[in-house]
Amino acid sequence: MTEKVVRRRELRIVRVASLLIALFIVGICGSAQTGFAQSPKPDPAGIATGDRTSVTDAAGNPFVVAEPTDKTAPDYAAAKQSYDDYVAQAAKEPLATKLADGVGHLRIGTNFAWTLNTGYLVLFMQCGFALLTCGLVRKKNAAHLMMLNFAAYVFAFLAYYAVGYAFQFGAMAVNAAPANIGGTPTLNHFLIGSGSWGWLGGKGFFLAGPAYDAGSNVLTLFEVVFMETAGYIIVGAICERITFWAFLLCELFIGAFLYPVFGCWVWGGGWMSQLGSSWHLGHGYVDFAGSTVVHAVGGFCAMALAVILGPRLGKYGKDGKPRAFPAHNIVYVVTGTFILLFGWMGFNPGSTLGATDLRISVVAVNTNLAAVAGSAVAMLLWYALFGKPDITMACNGMLAGLVAITAPCAFVSPTSAVIIGVLAGALVCGGVLFFERVAKIDDPCGAISVHGLCGWLGAVSLGIFADGTYGSGWNGVGTASYLGHAGQGVTGLLHGDSRQFLVQLGGATLCAVWAFGATFVVFSVVNKIKPIRVTAEAEERGLDVPEFGMVAYPEDALVTVDY
Amino acid sequence: MKRIDAIIRPNCLEAVKDGLVSIGVEGMTVAEVRGFGRQKGHTEVFRGTEYSVDFLPKIMVTVLAADDRVASILEAIAQGARTGKMGDGKIFVTPIDEVVRIRNGEHGDAAI
Repeated sequence: MTEKVVRRRELRIVRVASLLIALFIVGICGSAQTGFAQSPKPDPAGIATGDRTSVTDAAGNPFVVAEPTDKTAPDYAAAKQSYDDYVAQAAKEPLATKLADGVGHLRIGTNFAWTLNTGYLVLFMQCGFALLTCGLVRKKNAAHLMMLNFAAYVFAFLAYYAVGYAFQFGAMAVNAAPANIGGTPTLNHFLIGSGSWGWLGGKGFFLAGPAYDAGSNVLTLFEVVFMETAGYIIVGAICERITFWAFLLCELFIGAFLYPVFGCWVWGGGWMSQLGSSWHLGHGYVDFAGSTVVHAVGGFCAMALAVILGPRLGKYGKDGKPRAFPAHNIVYVVTGTFILLFGWMGFNPGSTLGATDLRISVVAVNTNLAAVAGSAVAMLLWYALFGKPDITMACNGMLAGLVAITAPCAFVSPTSAVIIGVLAGALVCGGVLFFERVAKIDDPCGAISVHGLCGWLGAVSLGIFADGTYGSGWNGVGTASYLGHAGQGVTGLLHGDSRQFLVQLGGATLCAVWAFGATFVVFSVVNKIKPIRVTAEAEERGLDVPEFGMVAYPEDALVTVDY
Repeated sequence: MKRIDAIIRPNCLEAVKDGLVSIGVEGMTVAEVRGFGRQKGHTEVFRGTEYSVDFLPKIMVTVLAADDRVASILEAIAQGARTGKMGDGKIFVTPIDEVVRIRNGEHGDAAI
C-alpha cells in the first residue's frame, strides 16, 4: 500500500468520524428538549393515552360533553344545558365513566394496532420499489439500483428523525389533531406561522421531548414510511447515471426538507389544509393518503433531477430519436408491482389512522378498483398502439391507478374509482411517450409519469368526484352542516362544490411547482459545485463496479470462486 | 480427425443429441451462442420505442470425429436440426492436429 493511499484513507476516516461526532452533538442538543417543562405532558409509556374523552359512537359523537367556552355563541344555552346534564349523569354513575376510560383506552389501542400494522405494509413497499426499478434497468446497473433503494431508506429515515418529522407534524395538534390515535396534544407549535397560516412545524426535533410520546410515535412510524415512498420514487428517474454521494444528498434533502414542508402545509395543520376555514374554499386542500403529498412531490423532484442529470449515454441517437434500453428482468418488475399493490392496502386504508373509522373497507375496494382499471387501460392502449401489450407498461398502468386514487380513495364511489383509474392509465401512457419522444427527459422507470402526473391527477380528481358521503368536518369545515346538509362531507365539482375543485387544482399544481422548483434550484447549485453525474467511462461500464466494486449476479462476479 | 461445429436452433438440441447418440457418438460439447445469417434479426418495441434484436440465440454443438465417421455425423445433425425454414443454422468441419485425453494421456483417434 502506498503512502498516498494510506493518507487518503486516514483523511476519509477523519471526515466520517467528524460527521458522526457532529450528529451526536446535535442529537444531545435535541434530547435536551426533554429537560424543559412540557405542556401538555408527553406520555412515552402510553399509560395516559386514551380515556373517556376518546370514546365516541359510530358517527363520531363524543361520550364526554365538553364545557362550552364561548358565551356569545348562539347555541350557548343549549350546549351549556347538555354539558350540565352530562355532569349530573356522570356524578350519578361513576362506574360508567370509569368503564368509559377503559373503552377509550381500548379504542386508541385498536387504532394503534391498525395504524402500525398498515405502516408495516407500507414499509414492505420498499421491497416492491426495489424490485420494480431494478428489473427495469440494464443488468450492468442492477447492484447500483438495489443500493440506491436500500440507502434511500437508511439516510432519509435519519433526516426525518432529526428534523423532518418536527417540520411536518410539530404543530399537528393546532389544526389537525389525529383524534383516532389520541390527538398528539404535545405537538402544538408552528416554527413559522401560526393559527390558520402555519408554514412549518416546530416541535419534536430528534423525536425528543414532545415527540417522545406513544401517540406521536404511532404517527412517526406511519409517516416515516410515507416519506420513504417519496424518497425512493426518485430512484426510477435518476438511476443508471447518478453518483452515490449525490443520491445520499437527495435523500437527506427530501427527508429533512422537501417532503416535510409540503406535508406540513397539507397534513400537519398548515395553511393549505386550512383554506376551507380561512378562505372558504371547500374543505381546504384535501389529499387523503398522499397523491400529491407523497407521490407528486417524489415525481416532480425526480423530474428536476432527471433534467439536471440529462439522458443516459446513448439514449438519444444523433438524429435525436430515442433508443430502447430493454428491462433486464421482467419477473422482478411484475413481482415488485404486486408487492406495491399489496403495500398500498396499508397506504390508503391505513391513512384513516384508525380501524374504528369503518370507511376503511370502501377505501380498500376503491384502491384496488383504480389499480385494475389503470392497468387494463395501459395494457389495451399499448395493444392497440403497438400491436403487443407491454408488460412494463401494464405494471406502470396499475401504479398510475394506485397513485391517482390515493388522494380521493376515501371520498369517492367505486365507479368513480374505476373512472379515475382509467384516466390515470391513459395519462401514464401519454406521459411516458411524451417524456421519451417530445420532452426528451430520460426517465428509465416512468417515475415522472406515474407519480408526478398521476399524483397531480389524483388530487384534482378528488375535486371532481368526491360525493360528500365521507369527511364531514374535514379540516374543521362544516362540522354541523355543509352545503345545507347535516353530515355532508368533502364534495367535488360533480356533486355541487366548485370551490373544492378550485382548491384541489391550485394545490396540486402548487405541489408540482414546489417539488420541481425547490429541487431544481438546490441541485443546480450542487451540480455547479461538483457534478452529480458519474463519468462517461463508469456509465458505459455499468455503475456496479465503479461505484461499489461488485456486481449484482454471481455469474458476473469479478473473482473466480471454488465450486 | 475432424472437428464438427454445428450451429442449430436451441429447440433442436434434443433431437440432434439423440440422433448423434443413436449412431454411437460418445461425447459432445454444447455452447449457447448468438448470431444471425440470412434471416437477419427482427424489431421489437419496449415502452413505445423500437429496438432491433440482431443477434438471435443459437446453440453450437461441437463433436470430434475420426475421418470415416464424419459423413454419418453430418447426416445425423442435419436430420435433427432441419425445419426447412430460414435460420436452421450451419455446420462447419475443420481438420484437427491432435486430441489428448487428460485422464490417461491417450492420443489421436483413441482419445476421441
